[in-house]
Amino acid sequence: MRISVLATLIALLTTTAALSQMYPGATPVPRTTSAPALADLAKQREVEERFRIGLAALSAANYKGAAAEFARVVAINPAEPKGSTARYDLAIAYANLQREDDAAAQLRAAIELDPGFLAAMANLVAVDLARGDFTEARSVADRFLALAPDSARALYARGIVALGTGDAATAREDFGKLLHSNPAYAVAHYDLAIAEERLGHIDAAERELRTALSLAPTYARAEFALGAVLLRQGRRSEARDAFVRTMQDASGDPALLNIAAAMRDSIAI
Amino acid sequence: MPRALVRHLLLAAALAGAFFCGRFAVANAAAAEDVLAGQLTPSAAPGLLGPITSAGRKGWDCKPEHAAASASVHAAELPAAPDTR
Repeated sequence: MRISVLATLIALLTTTAALSQMYPGATPVPRTTSAPALADLAKQREVEERFRIGLAALSAANYKGAAAEFARVVAINPAEPKGSTARYDLAIAYANLQREDDAAAQLRAAIELDPGFLAAMANLVAVDLARGDFTEARSVADRFLALAPDSARALYARGIVALGTGDAATAREDFGKLLHSNPAYAVAHYDLAIAEERLGHIDAAERELRTALSLAPTYARAEFALGAVLLRQGRRSEARDAFVRTMQDASGDPALLNIAAAMRDSIAI
Repeated sequence: MPRALVRHLLLAAALAGAFFCGRFAVANAAAAEDVLAGQLTPSAAPGLLGPITSAGRKGWDCKPEHAAASASVHAAELPAAPDTR
């Protein structure tokens, strides 16, 4: 009995060991003498190689080199998902070369090939904001948010675009929703405060700025905005204190430091 | 010049001074609010998401596509506030 159990165990272990040593079968080398098939295989190989070289160039911040590789892949026009992906990567290289218009064109083409490409939409909004095209940024942000209603990036991006175009109500809605799932995100509290201030909701703006500062105590821009909101409420002494605190925290932002100093000096107590 | 007239002139000058100072103070306050309104700018635009391999955006390991879809601000690679607690 014992011997049979032992034999079964040994047999099981041997089988498991044998399974763990199994390797996947080698991919068969394509064998063809057809010229079009060989050309197609060569193109596929070229696409893979250029992707590999292009990605290495991007990670080495060699954007010119990366752009050349991905531009060649785009010219080859490979099937999906490689076509849209090459355009997306080419756009990253162009954006880093300050060729924002070219980057936007590639991202538009990527989205046309793959209409659900969220990363391409996210980057197109960022590129459009850099080139000052708020109309397209808003249209892409709307589409991005419609496809991914809970996306933090979509909510943030559309909120920023809305603030840039004077649509404080949409910004208020987007940052409010973003904070619902990310209540500790100080930046969204700051942007929500800007939206509230523009809507004339000064008390709500003050509350959001105080929350932002409780989460990020050295957030100089939030401290400055708090000073502005307090000044608007006629609370001059508190506003002056906020501008003084801004100056302490804004050492890395000379423009903010100067304006905070000017505001502090302009308030006679 | 009679002392009473001098006193009246000085009083008038002081009143005029106070009036114009008040006007300047109001003008300065309005200008300060105008300056401030222009300084309350939104946060920075989100940065670019990173490159994607030739495998494309679909799949478990496409970080940029996950960042675009994520509900979490950390996964979404959004700008961070300084010294966040």
